[in-house]
Amino acid sequence: MSEKVDVLRGTLDLLILKALSWGPAHGYSVAEWIERVTEDTLQIEEGSLYPALHRLDERGLIEAEWGLSGNNRRAKYYALTVAGRQALKAESATWSRYAKAVFAALSAPAALKPARA
Amino acid sequence: MGAPKEPLWRRYLRFFGPDVEADVDEELRFHLDMKERDYLARGLSPEEARAEAIRKFGDLDRHRRQLRRQDSRRLRRDRWSERVDGWGQDLRFALRTLWRQRGFSLAVIATLSLGIGATTAIFSAVDAALLRPLPFPHPAELVELRAIEVPFREEAGQEEHPSGVTIRDVGALGGLFSGVGAYAVGGLNLSGTGNPIRTRVGVVTTGLLPTLGVRPAFGRHFHPEEGTPGQAAVALISHGLWRRQFGGDSALPRSILLNGLTYQVVGVMPPEFTFPERVDLWIPLTVPMTPETFEPFRGAILKTVVARLAPSATLDAARDRMRLLWGKLPAEARDEYRALLADPVRPLQGSLVGNRRGPMLILLGATGLLLLIACVNATNLLLAHAATRERELAVRAVLGASRGRLVRQLLAQSLVLSVAGAMGGLALAAGTLRAVQGLLPKEMLDIASPHLDLRLLVFAIGLAGITGIGFGLWPALGATRTDAHGAMKSGGGHGATAARRGRLRRTLVTTELALALMLLAGAGLMLKSFVILLDTNPGFEPERVAALQVVLDGSRALSNANRVAAVNAIAERLRGVPGIEAAGAVNDLPMTDQVRMSIRVDAEGKPSGEGAEPKFARWLMASEGYFRALGIPLIRGRLMRETDDSLAPKIAVINQTMAKIIWPGEDPIGKRFKSGGRGEFRTVVGIVRDVRERMDQRPDPHTYFPIGEFTPQDVTIVARGALAGPDLLAALRLAVRETDPTQAVYNARTLTDAMSRSLAPRRSTTLLITAFGLLALLLALVGVYGVVSYTVTLRQRELGIRAALGASRNNLARLVLTEGATVALLGIAIGLMGAFGLSRVLRGLLYGVEPTDPTALFAAAAVLLIPAILATLIPARRAASADPVEVMRSE
Repeated sequence: MSEKVDVLRGTLDLLILKALSWGPAHGYSVAEWIERVTEDTLQIEEGSLYPALHRLDERGLIEAEWGLSGNNRRAKYYALTVAGRQALKAESATWSRYAKAVFAALSAPAALKPARA
Repeated sequence: MGAPKEPLWRRYLRFFGPDVEADVDEELRFHLDMKERDYLARGLSPEEARAEAIRKFGDLDRHRRQLRRQDSRRLRRDRWSERVDGWGQDLRFALRTLWRQRGFSLAVIATLSLGIGATTAIFSAVDAALLRPLPFPHPAELVELRAIEVPFREEAGQEEHPSGVTIRDVGALGGLFSGVGAYAVGGLNLSGTGNPIRTRVGVVTTGLLPTLGVRPAFGRHFHPEEGTPGQAAVALISHGLWRRQFGGDSALPRSILLNGLTYQVVGVMPPEFTFPERVDLWIPLTVPMTPETFEPFRGAILKTVVARLAPSATLDAARDRMRLLWGKLPAEARDEYRALLADPVRPLQGSLVGNRRGPMLILLGATGLLLLIACVNATNLLLAHAATRERELAVRAVLGASRGRLVRQLLAQSLVLSVAGAMGGLALAAGTLRAVQGLLPKEMLDIASPHLDLRLLVFAIGLAGITGIGFGLWPALGATRTDAHGAMKSGGGHGATAARRGRLRRTLVTTELALALMLLAGAGLMLKSFVILLDTNPGFEPERVAALQVVLDGSRALSNANRVAAVNAIAERLRGVPGIEAAGAVNDLPMTDQVRMSIRVDAEGKPSGEGAEPKFARWLMASEGYFRALGIPLIRGRLMRETDDSLAPKIAVINQTMAKIIWPGEDPIGKRFKSGGRGEFRTVVGIVRDVRERMDQRPDPHTYFPIGEFTPQDVTIVARGALAGPDLLAALRLAVRETDPTQAVYNARTLTDAMSRSLAPRRSTTLLITAFGLLALLLALVGVYGVVSYTVTLRQRELGIRAALGASRNNLARLVLTEGATVALLGIAIGLMGAFGLSRVLRGLLYGVEPTDPTALFAAAAVLLIPAILATLIPARRAASADPVEVMRSE
């Protein structure tokens, strides 16, 4: 099994929202953050980050604005909206429950015989 | 490696909205540049750094394409919803504003409803009669052939006449026409299926229905050989009759009795098909016709010959060909048809509409004028309304509302008004549709009855749209052109804009008045015609006279002698009824829509034949009692007597017009004439007064033959008596039933009823035009009142100053009255010129009145002027009471 895991679409959205929860950022720094915190475990093609960003923008979870980057270049900054923050909260909770459940299943002791109906 | 700089001008382009492609490129370029810098910092060579950045990004092209697509789709959606939001906002705003000013809104909606309603109702009739094609396949190919005869022969083996061009000659042409047929409409008593009823019968050649392109719903069509004399009698019936009379039993053939003769029903026509003139039965018109052919008719048969042009043939080619056919005949054969030969082929639809075309187009024109007035009035109201909102608009313009947005809001408002107007108009049109049906000739009613259909809805909505944008845009542009600064400062209502708007409104009101006058003048002329008609002496005394028709069938129809005896018996019995003063019989009553027959009159000793103008007279059969019952006075000589029977020497009674035309300056009594160069000479024994066949037609020459000499099967019995109308009719019915209880009667009516019915189409046209004129008057008055009272508001300050300087109340009132009167007089003057210009159009509708009749025009002007002056009195009073202190304080 490969060390890197293909990231699910919903997961990418969640990661983006999380990345932006620290404050507005442009696409490059979002990519950087994800790469850093997941320690490069998740196989994310950087190119697929942008359609996801635009999609979230369209759904109103984040909003985009052109601004100036540190080196004085025009860059598109994304910021979390109120709706985005709520979505992040809800999604993180769901994701944790899901992960916990899967983990519990994987670490269950012995195989039980399925009960007959 | 530095990023290519975005050209500066690009940024300006963003005024017109985001540039999706450039934005996507820029965002991605930024990412790659950052990444590249990262790798450079980690010590990669520039080439490696770039390559690594791109590799890490994935499929650059695919991502870029996807982003562009995603973003442009979003942009389009955003723009659209923004626009819809804007419209929704404008609409809600318009509705709120209009609701706040309910009075104003209602006035505009009512004005438009009237205009659109009247136009739509009349248009529905015009549409039905003139525009909608006949409900047959390729209706444009159908033509009426005039001056074409169906040959006739008395007995098998005998010679056929006339010798003119016959339907057979047309059928033999080939190529030019793909089908030809003839029809006539008559009536027969239907029995053998329950109660005997009178039915309208289409007598049609076997070629007619195929020519029209219709086939029976079930059963079969007439076979060609059934169109020759001596074949088994067959009939087709209408879908309606089949359901009513046969209970929808589809077993065919089955036999019915028509005037006591057995016919086999071989087919049922499709629903809706009742051509011509709402008939219920079709029987073959044989070629040649025989005496039996005349059974459904009252002595006279009016045939219409219909042909279908071959796809390649033109109307002109058909005309030339018809003239060529006639050219081969001797001149004397052509004489009788001279008038028809001028236009031997006409489109069928046009000939069915006939002489109703003119009145209908005039009515449509009148409603057009009314609609125009309504729109002008609505514009005027909106202008006045815009003036009151001037300040609000100015404030909003200053606060940054774009002019386009303001115009859009005003337009939304007028669109709301016009859509409401269209709805009101449609409701009005639906309500008046029944009245409008009376305008249609009865030949058209079932072929194409007027109804509100989708096309009409489109028509109304279209009208509303055009008027809405038309009358909305002008005031909207005018209102937003306002110099915001000036309007804010002055508080509105003053300055150059107001003056310009005042001029505009005066022009509008003048137009309205001029148009209204044209309508009123038309109404005046029509009313005067109608009054003259009512005063016209019809030549007989219709009061206390009743009539009904009988069709003699069975043994009583068998011979002329039997018929004469039957009619005499009825008249005899009637004369015995107390209260009945006179009774008689005739084949045709005046003031009815019946087919009348004319005969050619060749007077003894007068030039006839080639070169001589042929003379015709209406041919009637009457008894002495007929003249007494109708009160037609004998001028000279004697009336027919009972002894003037088929064996007696032939005599005739003529009317004054015939005497004048055939024997000018001579005494016609004792003179002799022949009909159509055939038969024996007939001696004139008496002259009676002229009788009008229709109120608006001058009397024709008439000749009356004794009904005792020849009695048709279908006879009208008349009686005069001191009884009330219904009692008189009851007495008539009773007398007929007592002589033969099985005798069917129909068309029972009093003559005053018949007269009023004959005037009905003209009455409805006159009423409609008068109603339009009055509506126009009302609208114009609203306009005058509006514009004058607006001026008073506008000049409040000036009036106040004048009052302060010592102007009397009268002076002030006169100032305003002069303004109103100027507008009114100018409008009336222009309207009179317009009425003169249109006078020729109206001529065809008038009777006994010149289209430039001064009394009617003067009356119209007075009817308009007096209320117009009255309408200015109210604002004038307000002006007179201008209080200088009040005015100064309000500044």
